[in-house]
Amino acid sequence: MSNRTIPRLLQTPAVILLLIWMLVPLSLTLYFSFIRYVLNSLRRPEWTTPSFSNWRGFGNYEFVLNSKDFLFAIQNSLLIVGSILFGTVILGVLIAVLINKAFPGRGIVRVLLISPFFVMPAVNAVLWINMILDPVLGLQGIAVGGLNNMIDGLQNAPLVGWFFSLWPEFEPISFRATQTSAYAVIIMVTWQWTPFAVLIFMTSLQSEDEQQKEAAILDGASAWSQFRFLTLPHLGRPIAIVVMIQAIFHLSLYAEIEIVSRGNGNKNLPYLIGEFANNNIGAASATGIFAVILANIVAIFLLRMVGKTLME
Amino acid sequence: MGRIVLDTVTKSFGDAQVIPPLDLTIEDGEFAVFVGPSGCGKSTLLRLIAGLEDTTSGKIAIDGNDVTQVPPSKRGLAMVFQSYALYPHMSVRKNIAFPMRMAKMDQAEIDKKVEAAATSLNLLDYLDKKPGQLSGGQRQRVAIGRAIVREPAAFLFDEPLSNLDAALRVGMRMEILELHKKLNTTMIYVTHDQVEAMTMADKIVVLRAGNIEQVGSPLELYRNPRNLFVAGFIGSPTMNLITGAAAGSHGAETIGVRPEHISVSATEGTWSGTVGVSEHLGSDTFFHVHGTGLADTITVRADGEVDFKYGETIHLTPRSDVIHRFDAQGLRLG
Repeated sequence: MSNRTIPRLLQTPAVILLLIWMLVPLSLTLYFSFIRYVLNSLRRPEWTTPSFSNWRGFGNYEFVLNSKDFLFAIQNSLLIVGSILFGTVILGVLIAVLINKAFPGRGIVRVLLISPFFVMPAVNAVLWINMILDPVLGLQGIAVGGLNNMIDGLQNAPLVGWFFSLWPEFEPISFRATQTSAYAVIIMVTWQWTPFAVLIFMTSLQSEDEQQKEAAILDGASAWSQFRFLTLPHLGRPIAIVVMIQAIFHLSLYAEIEIVSRGNGNKNLPYLIGEFANNNIGAASATGIFAVILANIVAIFLLRMVGKTLME
Repeated sequence: MGRIVLDTVTKSFGDAQVIPPLDLTIEDGEFAVFVGPSGCGKSTLLRLIAGLEDTTSGKIAIDGNDVTQVPPSKRGLAMVFQSYALYPHMSVRKNIAFPMRMAKMDQAEIDKKVEAAATSLNLLDYLDKKPGQLSGGQRQRVAIGRAIVREPAAFLFDEPLSNLDAALRVGMRMEILELHKKLNTTMIYVTHDQVEAMTMADKIVVLRAGNIEQVGSPLELYRNPRNLFVAGFIGSPTMNLITGAAAGSHGAETIGVRPEHISVSATEGTWSGTVGVSEHLGSDTFFHVHGTGLADTITVRADGEVDFKYGETIHLTPRSDVIHRFDAQGLRLG
């Protein structure tokens, strides 16, 4: 036996376990995506059990590609992921820089800032859509109502009344509507994941070299220049990590979409899979394969980006 | 131009006063070294001059202008840090150009100055590398380059050589001295290493607990230490401090004799003792002598050829004209 055999032999169980873990679901998905397989059919009961005799070729893929929601779901997946990444990174950097300064009660503020991350996604969605974004009962409705009342009052005021009587009455936005439900999801997930970004950026800021900053101060760098030329490059790597981890998570958003509008006007690929899986497992599996492809494309882009920052 | 005057400057952190009222003048073109044990306030003093710390009271003037309330970047000083503090994401070229870029100088002008600084510091081959790819000595030179291009009124060095190995340190010491001769700009240099202080300084400022113990040229400090602290701090190996009857016979509470001012003999001498460990440097040998009844250990410097074995009896004779005498308060007598 060569001296490599034993290590390989010892690794085998772990490798096999991983292969089974990955390959079995993937192969089953592939298999289902090429056959007719439905959960319930009175007309064609033979389709309710998976079998090679129900072979459909690329029929499921064709069906998915031609379904009216598919392109919309892909666009929407990218819109949601992209917007959340944009929001969390910018807010995360700003908040991390803000609380990196020493101030009384910093410990408590930090704990409070992290807490949204501990809320379950479904609870988060229920809280936001009912208690904050609801146009009647939520904070939004109350705030808009209050604003309208205030303007109403000011319209009778002397001197400035004419100015306020020019103002229109504000309408609260319904975030369950077709056009706005995606924004509701973006807002609530951004709120929930900003703490994650803050946490990562904050630890990174603490490792920033103070002497570099002092050198920059002596070199005449303004606060903005210090941020632009020292802090931001220093945060390059953590930003790449935050973007990558979040992209992986948010491509598979489901609970928020379900709770906000049940997919009305706002579907992503996982949600589409869920809809197909109500009955048509074949189509759901084909969509799943598309989702794998999309995730890989996104991953390649992100790995490139992360790789680039790591190389520097 | 860079005449720096500190007028009753104090600094407190909360209730702790680290710099009691302090007056100091550093003349234009002078190489001044702040030296003292760790925690003596020498770095704080440098940071006060740089403006990185605010003075609690007192005034700092550069060339007659009161700069106490002036922000660091407007004081016209350049600082070289212990950790070099290079900007890790920028190439050497951009590091050196950074202060000029912040001053919104013309790009052509910037390029010219970077080239000039890189040439004089032997950095031309490294201009496009990142600091992480350079050795300690090269990083130090980049930090100096970044300071030079600003054409400051004075350079401030904060223990710049303590991260370098011994051989490189000697080399960089000479480079900094040559730079000083060439530019003729005021330099303030902070170190805890009295050898660096002795070899580099025009003027040494010995600090202890924020107080200036003595100011003077290296040889003044060596010949006439004002008190026991300076006597013990300047000179290597340190001065032998002797109390008791031997000191009384010179009319002092404590007398100090430098190891190099004691002659040794196998047969006769003023004092005698047994040889402990000895350090052979080739040119010199240091003997640590015990059992003299004067102090725990008396260190003696002898010629490298002189040989005494461990445990042998040795006789010592101090040179009477260079015995330092101190009173009960530790101050120099006569």
